[in-house]
Amino acid sequence: MIPMVGVISVRHWARSRSFKLWIPLFLLWLVLLPIAILALPVLLVVCLIARLNPWEVIATFWGILTSLHDTHIEVDNRDALVLIRIL
Amino acid sequence: MNEHRRQILEMLSAGKITADEAERLLAALERSGSSSTNDVSGTPRAAKMKYLRVLVDSDNGGNPHQGPVKVNIRVPMQLLRAGVRLAGLIPPQAREHVNTALREKGIPFDLSQIKPDNLEELIDHLNDLSIDVDSSNRHGYGSEKVTVKVFCE
Repeated sequence: MIPMVGVISVRHWARSRSFKLWIPLFLLWLVLLPIAILALPVLLVVCLIARLNPWEVIATFWGILTSLHDTHIEVDNRDALVLIRIL
Repeated sequence: MNEHRRQILEMLSAGKITADEAERLLAALERSGSSSTNDVSGTPRAAKMKYLRVLVDSDNGGNPHQGPVKVNIRVPMQLLRAGVRLAGLIPPQAREHVNTALREKGIPFDLSQIKPDNLEELIDHLNDLSIDVDSSNRHGYGSEKVTVKVFCE
């Protein structure tokens, strides 16, 4: 499943202020899809030059995209807590 | 495994052990089962693992300007597997450049050796790795203790 939403949350401990940003990634994919289709011939040429199997390249990139789901990165120090989640 | 579980239940039904003791024994049995490479169904442990967790806990040696830092990272195993496949796609010429650059940095690592099978083996053996780093703080606030824990779940 491709990630649909990204969440960035920052909490400042000193100022007791926090914000949470929900990024609708599905809109990004909708924008990138036509670009990806247009870039496909370029990718095929690059694969031919580099002697790579284009299907394998596409499958690998698709695998990376779909496996981003459920990634969680959290950094907490004295000043702030930063949380990045991909849902 | 099922044999041990049955023995515990038999002891419980015979009144040789209490329900509390049986619960503790079953929990211990489950723990020992989960730490082995394969489970009851014979599924490799690596196949069941969903995430790689990296926890970093640093106290910064009492530095009043920085304070403790905690890092909590959860990376899906599928992302690691996809990354390994991506490493396999690097053209040989580029791979040689990367290997040379790594060697220059003092990391004698061959990218061509990264294979999905190696990753599964690594996950199998990565039960609970804990690294304690004790270093003197660069700001002169005493020693800095950093604990890095890497495990799969």
